[in-house]
Amino acid sequence: MIEKGKISASQMGKMLYLAILPTAILTTPAITFKFAKQDLWISPIWALCGLIVIFVSLRLHRMYPGLNIVQACERIVGRFPGKIIGFIFPLFYLYFNGIIVREYSEFVVGAFLIRTPLIVVSGSIVLVCAIAARGGVEIVGRFSELILPAFITLFLLIVVPIIPDLQVTNMLPIMPEGIRPSIEGAIVLQTWFSEFLTASFLLPFVADQKKSQKSVYISLLAVILTLIVSNLVTLLLLGELTGNYTYPFLTVARYINLADFFTHLESLFMAIWVLGAFVKICVFFYVTVLGAAQWMNLSDYRPIVFPLGLLLILFSMWVAPNFQELTHAIATSVTLAIITLFVIIPGLLFCIAWVKRRLWIKS
Amino acid sequence: MLRGKRRPPANDGLQVNNPQPQIGFSENLNETLQLLQAVYADCTDVIFHEFFIGERTKAVLIYIDGLTHIEEVDQHVLAPLQQDFPQEHTLPNIRKKIAVSSIKDVQSVDDVIAEISGGNPVLFMEGENRGLSLGLSKFEKRSIEEPTAESVLRGPREGFIETLRSNTALLRRKVRSPNLKIKSLNLGTYSGTAVAIAYIEGIAAPELVEEVMSRLRRIENDGLLASAYIEEFIEDNPASPFPQVLSTERPDVASAYLLEGHVVIIADGTPSVLIAPVTFFSLLQSPEDYYERYVVGSAIRWLRYLFFAISLLGPSLYVAVLSFHQEMIPTTLLLTVAQSREQVPFPALVEAVLMESMFEALREAGARLPKQIGSAVSIVGALVIGQAAIAAGIVSAPMVMVVAITGIASFMAPRFTVGIAIRLLRFPMMFLAGFLGFLGLILGIIVILNHLLTLRSFGVPYLSPLAPMKSRELKDVLLRVPRWMANTRPHLTGEWNPYRQAPGQRPRPPKGNNGG
Repeated sequence: MIEKGKISASQMGKMLYLAILPTAILTTPAITFKFAKQDLWISPIWALCGLIVIFVSLRLHRMYPGLNIVQACERIVGRFPGKIIGFIFPLFYLYFNGIIVREYSEFVVGAFLIRTPLIVVSGSIVLVCAIAARGGVEIVGRFSELILPAFITLFLLIVVPIIPDLQVTNMLPIMPEGIRPSIEGAIVLQTWFSEFLTASFLLPFVADQKKSQKSVYISLLAVILTLIVSNLVTLLLLGELTGNYTYPFLTVARYINLADFFTHLESLFMAIWVLGAFVKICVFFYVTVLGAAQWMNLSDYRPIVFPLGLLLILFSMWVAPNFQELTHAIATSVTLAIITLFVIIPGLLFCIAWVKRRLWIKS
Repeated sequence: MLRGKRRPPANDGLQVNNPQPQIGFSENLNETLQLLQAVYADCTDVIFHEFFIGERTKAVLIYIDGLTHIEEVDQHVLAPLQQDFPQEHTLPNIRKKIAVSSIKDVQSVDDVIAEISGGNPVLFMEGENRGLSLGLSKFEKRSIEEPTAESVLRGPREGFIETLRSNTALLRRKVRSPNLKIKSLNLGTYSGTAVAIAYIEGIAAPELVEEVMSRLRRIENDGLLASAYIEEFIEDNPASPFPQVLSTERPDVASAYLLEGHVVIIADGTPSVLIAPVTFFSLLQSPEDYYERYVVGSAIRWLRYLFFAISLLGPSLYVAVLSFHQEMIPTTLLLTVAQSREQVPFPALVEAVLMESMFEALREAGARLPKQIGSAVSIVGALVIGQAAIAAGIVSAPMVMVVAITGIASFMAPRFTVGIAIRLLRFPMMFLAGFLGFLGLILGIIVILNHLLTLRSFGVPYLSPLAPMKSRELKDVLLRVPRWMANTRPHLTGEWNPYRQAPGQRPRPPKGNNGG
């Protein structure tokens, strides 16, 4: 096997949580609000794609222990189609990671370092992620373990001081038009939930397999809960204004005022966000590197880390000409592509594998 | 292969004039004498004392002046031997006449040289091809004192000294069990330094002991003059600024680590012993934590963690906030800061780097100077980092505060080696903060964390038990739990002797109605 490191089930859960949440907190309230209005806090509950994807990756891993979805794919549909899918997955992870790096850089440049060139911001984070990814899954896992407490503390530091300013009336009326708007709002969120497919790439490295199922589901639950809290806080504070901001939760962080002394804590928010984005980019980058190395039958993935890192920077430049087009793409084509690749293809693969296994048992 | 394995041939320093090292001695005393005199040519401190046993048999006593207890030799060796006695003059009979507790037969030239160099006089006599080595070495050594580098308010005040035997005796006095094993070997072709490793059998993992031994045996060096030499040869990652073995002068610290399954390496000639493996958090612990009440110990530990963070990030936070995130400073404070920076010509980054390097220079100058001149440095230092610097308009008052606080914070690291690593990393952090603000700071932290996460000390992850998380062992990291709760031993590598004491030893007032 290329990777010799082992992670614990809880490390995997923490990795997934940090790989999915940070970008979700940042951008989803605005998009969800367009459809769900004051019901935006209900939307994260409709995490259908997350459930499907987790179910599929756990089941596939149980059928083909020690193999991730790309490797299992060769067993299911044969060598040649398997190789094609095995090529698409790392490529798409690279592309998708490029979008995330771009989002991250646009956010940092747009909100904080206005005069810093975009490439400095994206280049520095990719460099740091490449260094961490070179350490292997063990290091990324330990990073998540270390960063998670800091992430949660900083998140609470933003949410708790704001409680006196929340106006509960903002969330009323609840579900005036039934559950339809909240479900419509949840469609964009499915992009994030389907990222749980990454679990399939991490499962083979888990040392205590028995706990892995529980750990992934807890991770999903934690993501949903955190999104509900962040959406709720945003809604209760900003009300109708939520849809007008690009980064509503950042505005929430700006609102904090403790004893008239601690004000403008948005830099704190950036600290959270960079930590989270680091884990996210790092995990996805690791999956890219691992998938590429497996596809090319390399004996080690370390030599291709930095070349792929360079590609990642290029992708982040290339995904969209500007931020507006990027958000537009995320809301339309990217969502579609992700759901196809992360939900429908694995779902189909699972069905084929299941049927094959049934036939095999019968014969 | 780029990294060839060509090694220069080993230089046999101690056997320099010896063509056939395993050669024995002849029964002719004159030949023996010639051989040894050739080996010790031009060594004026080696004494060849010739005399007659019982006025009949010629004999020679060879020793190094200054390493041998001469009065004892006169009283218990020469005096009884020079009187005539009726028995035949053979080595076993001679042996009976000598009133010395430790006598060894030595046969090969190597052994004889090792004994003489170690200070033991060797006796040869006519008609025997062997010699007798007498355990009468004695040399000047420092008395056991309180280690000045690691002082505590409560707790033992004795410290290791430069002599290996006294150090092993200090350990043996603390851990009397025969399970305390002390293995020794000699390292350094010229210095022939005696090195011992101590561990407790049944607690320390055998593979760890084996690993330490094999890493020590690999050392091929002309002279190991201090334990720090060994440290550099056995580290896992020599490029890291962080120490991967702990060095201490305190026998109580060494014994506490022995009881947790670590291995102690003692080198002759240095008062600081090495402890391996070691984790990052054990380097942030002070023996005082365990001698104070546990509440106080835990609180002080947290204070230390806080100031550890400040010592790494203090100046860079200041630089980042001042150059990029001014909005984070409350308006009134911002006005004060701006006012004091009005006259200062430098940007915050330059100011910080200037002052921090000045501080480091002062610290280094103060540490190296003789005590008499030391006060001069502190006077000048107070001028440079102080009111005069502000009055001159070179630096701002808040910057001086930041430098001073960081300085104090960096002195809070209980181990000098960690403190210096952090002080070193402070400079790149300042530059990152000056270039990218908070973002640079966080990226810097991520890189440092990445390094710490990949670092291992003898196979033990450096940041354990925090990452990988071992919740059971956090009791000695996040807190200093009371001793009656610390039932389990930390788990390092290999097999594990999990329990260190009986559970349920919490002291409680006796239950019963003997009260009022």
